[in-house]
Amino acid sequence: MVEAEVEDKRITLDEAAKLVSDGAHLFWGGFGFQRPPMAFAHELVRQRKRELTIYTCGSEIDIDILAGARVVSKFELAFFAIEGIGLAPNIQRRIRDGSVQIEDYTNLAMALRFLGGALGVPFMPLKSMLGTDLIAKNRFRSNKVKVIDCPFTGEKVALVPSVKPDFSIIHASRVDMEGNAQIDGIKGEDVEGARAGKKTIVLAEEIVDVEFTRANPDLTVIPNIYVTYVVECPWGSYPMMVYNYYDYDMEHIRMYYQQCKTEEGWQKYCEEYITGVENHMEFLKKIGFEKLLKLRARKPFGY
Amino acid sequence: MEMSKKEHAKQGEYSTLELMAVCGARAIKNGEVVFVGTGLPMVAAMLAKRLHAPKAKIVYEAGFIDSNAIDIALSIADSRLEYRASAAIGLIETLGMLLQGGRVDVGFVGAAQIDEYGNLNTTYIGDFENPKVRLPGSGGGNDIVSSAKRIVVIMKHEKRKTVKKLDYMTSPGYLDGPGARERTGLRGGGPTLVVTNLCQMDFDKETKRIRLATVHPGVTVETVLENTGFDLIVPEQVLETEPPTYEELEILRRVDPMGIYIPRQQGEK
Repeated sequence: MVEAEVEDKRITLDEAAKLVSDGAHLFWGGFGFQRPPMAFAHELVRQRKRELTIYTCGSEIDIDILAGARVVSKFELAFFAIEGIGLAPNIQRRIRDGSVQIEDYTNLAMALRFLGGALGVPFMPLKSMLGTDLIAKNRFRSNKVKVIDCPFTGEKVALVPSVKPDFSIIHASRVDMEGNAQIDGIKGEDVEGARAGKKTIVLAEEIVDVEFTRANPDLTVIPNIYVTYVVECPWGSYPMMVYNYYDYDMEHIRMYYQQCKTEEGWQKYCEEYITGVENHMEFLKKIGFEKLLKLRARKPFGY
Repeated sequence: MEMSKKEHAKQGEYSTLELMAVCGARAIKNGEVVFVGTGLPMVAAMLAKRLHAPKAKIVYEAGFIDSNAIDIALSIADSRLEYRASAAIGLIETLGMLLQGGRVDVGFVGAAQIDEYGNLNTTYIGDFENPKVRLPGSGGGNDIVSSAKRIVVIMKHEKRKTVKKLDYMTSPGYLDGPGARERTGLRGGGPTLVVTNLCQMDFDKETKRIRLATVHPGVTVETVLENTGFDLIVPEQVLETEPPTYEELEILRRVDPMGIYIPRQQGEK
């Protein structure tokens, strides 16, 4: 038997963001404070992307940054805030000035829309949203949701359109160079989302050897077939959390929230932590390794 | 000493938020599957598990199933919730298979507005076309209220929050009255209890309209009505909410020792 050469899908964070053209549609991974593709959001801001549409269930500072920097103009989602602290300050302001529009779904509806995209079917049925303004009102999507009588049982069901975005952006725990990815802890909607995109970019805390993933195939959550590119990106969700790797930095999150309440404060934050640093490594240097070490997860807790 | 733990605390020995958390905890029965978010509902569920409902199974929509967290979490996806859970999976599992699949007994939600049929708003304040404030949105809230067997709402009691007409209906209570949930295709049972800082409310079985159940110690029916924007049914007899016991307070303060969701009071025992 001839041994196949291991395909190398590794690219840099900079190269990965360059693939995303203005106006592109993205599935945005992570859920709440867990594994958001924060470093990728920063890089999209540095490269001055415009007019992106983002599909996600619930996201926080990551998408607030994208709205603040005018990278994203449309969101289809279920939830955004800075949980435990307050409303997402930049998105609030961008909604008021008309530069950001939001189409509202529920978390289950969005997760099913990704599953539908992954399964290659045009819509998915669900028993939520019925009877509410989530069905009666739409912002920019004319085909947001439809209610039908089930052709088999006659009961009412809501149908939501599947999503097949240009890219799926996932931040995983570990991935090998050919794209076999492992995710510790909750997966949110990343299992379905990773399979919905036309191209999938997996960023990860660690690149591991193919021997490691191939010895533990039951730990692979996203197999290489779905994955187009792989990016090594340690601390890629900071200041949010990655299970088994690090906790969130509450001090930084609170500072972000307080400072971004005003446009001037946000511009200062953006300059200081995003556009004013050359890349992700420079950002981490600015945060400082003493702080990062303090946030490292303790065993057996994972935070 | 043991006997005194079961005694009720006196007014001034506990805060309103503590009473609300205790009311929420008492709404959970042992062995139930409980779907909660962050904030007071999380504290209430963690308290119930340490008191009368050790076999309650707490589910968080991010994917944590049968969580036994020992630290208070800030996010629904917080790694703290994974501690001694039976599984950590994802949204299709929790909101889809467990909840929509009909396996959740009670769901806890909050709201910025509620109307007299228990319909809830967590999306917009003001007009949809020109809103004053954009709130976080449904998240899993609509999914929970649509499909859990019963719903407990925990929220602040103000005139502008208890309204005749919602600015936006995010989650379905009894819609416009008896039979409406069934006609609309909703499978869950709808809201059964609303806990506020002034009182507890339930729903009239015939009309599905919201009704005063108990007033918190020190609060009069008049005070409740003065702070209510919708027509609240007031039964002939309104009991006082059972105050927290010393045992409930002691355990509650251990659940949230840093006072993340329930700030510590000056001079508390």
